[in-house]
Amino acid sequence: MNEQISRLMDGDADEPDLERVCRACGDGEAMDTWVCYHVIGDVLRGSGTLSRGFATRFATALDGEPTILAPQPRLTHRLGVTWAIAATVAAVAVVGWTAVSLTDAPTTALAKAREAADVHAAQLRSQSVPPDYLLAHQEYSPATAMQGVGPYLRAVSVPAGDAQR
Amino acid sequence: MRAVSWSVLPSVFPSVSRRLARLAVIPSAAWLIGATPLAHAGDVSQWLARAANAARAQNYVGTIVYQHGGHVESSRLAHIFDNGEEFDRLVSLDGPAREIIRSAGEVRCYYPDARVVRVEPRTIRNVFPSLSVEQQNALAQYYDFRKAETARIAGYDAQAWVFEPKDGLRYGHKFWAENSTGLLLKARVLGERGEIVEQFAFMDITIGGPVDRSLVKPTWPSTPPDWTVREGSAGETSPRDTGWVVTRVPPGFVKIMEGYRRLRGKPDPVAHLVFSDGLVAVSVFVQPVTSAPTHVGFSQQGGVNVYSLRLDDNLVTALGEVPGSTVRQIASSVEHH
Repeated sequence: MNEQISRLMDGDADEPDLERVCRACGDGEAMDTWVCYHVIGDVLRGSGTLSRGFATRFATALDGEPTILAPQPRLTHRLGVTWAIAATVAAVAVVGWTAVSLTDAPTTALAKAREAADVHAAQLRSQSVPPDYLLAHQEYSPATAMQGVGPYLRAVSVPAGDAQR
Repeated sequence: MRAVSWSVLPSVFPSVSRRLARLAVIPSAAWLIGATPLAHAGDVSQWLARAANAARAQNYVGTIVYQHGGHVESSRLAHIFDNGEEFDRLVSLDGPAREIIRSAGEVRCYYPDARVVRVEPRTIRNVFPSLSVEQQNALAQYYDFRKAETARIAGYDAQAWVFEPKDGLRYGHKFWAENSTGLLLKARVLGERGEIVEQFAFMDITIGGPVDRSLVKPTWPSTPPDWTVREGSAGETSPRDTGWVVTRVPPGFVKIMEGYRRLRGKPDPVAHLVFSDGLVAVSVFVQPVTSAPTHVGFSQQGGVNVYSLRLDDNLVTALGEVPGSTVRQIASSVEHH
């Protein structure tokens, strides 16, 4: 199941995988794994964290919202209104989703995420991109063909010490 | 954020999911709203070919600014196309002095503070306009290619174009092409939250007309006395089957090169495989190592992510203009057959 969850997160899941994961998420363990993987992913990407229990509070508050009945907007305004609503819903959903994936994570997931973050930070500190590899890669990159010599700046944009490597 | 994530929600958070379900059809707020999609794979490759042809066959001199991760660096750039050959010189204007000279046969990088010159043989000269049919199809399948707004950049009228990725394995790209030549005046790499990962932009530029040859001549002799020369051996990449395979190549990427190259200071030849989705490329290097490699894990240089790991007595490194998770997936699935 962990592998299927991982594939789903990587966007590699096929239809049967998807159904299995959806079914399995009904029980606690698969859901914990799903949340844990997202927390690790978020931490590695440097996404922010929200206070604990935010998702539950948010879901409760959202359920408590009254349903607003509004008259059908005039046709001339429809597009603008639709986009405005879309933007609001999108913003709320992004916050909601982040909360779901971060705040209700079990303690072990948070510990794993912190560990991953520490390792990640240590790795970032301890190394830079090997200039030999970068130079060798640059020639094959379509970016070089489209942008000319400019992208080579990546290869030389390193501290002097690294030039010696 | 992936569209597929939403579909998991109904069984888990029914109250939220009703609202979220509507989102599946709404593009991320980070992307331009109201842009016109361009339908055919052929349109994309024609556009790429025009940009590549302009970058190669126009003469231009200007100041280019490179922004990445909070850093801003400006450089002076000159490009001459003469008798079928390209000549470039790129000189940094701030930070440590750096100079890049690109000519027909090689790229030379001068680091005067370190007294080092790094030489890389140029093995191929055009990725475009010869995109394979496979790559053209991959481009249309994995990116939405759209015409965006018009803009004025460095005194020229330009048209902006957007490549919006359809999955989380690729970055987004936005290019501003000068109207009459198609030369890219600005190129931006966007992360999944719409943040700018990296940007190249001309602050000023003169396109066309003769460019004085002295502008592409190196400041230093080709090998200055008492400098260290870091040279990839004169031998070019020898194309051959290396026996190394990537078992989980991200969808849309195809192998465009495989071979061995000699890298400076490395006794054994290094296996080099290149995969491309038509817009970006990922290189895989496999290098025999005897002691424990010091550099493993992630690193990043602007829009280029790198992931290295130890595989038996080898150091495997995947590197390319894609998110960290994509290079990790590639590096982690390298096997020897």
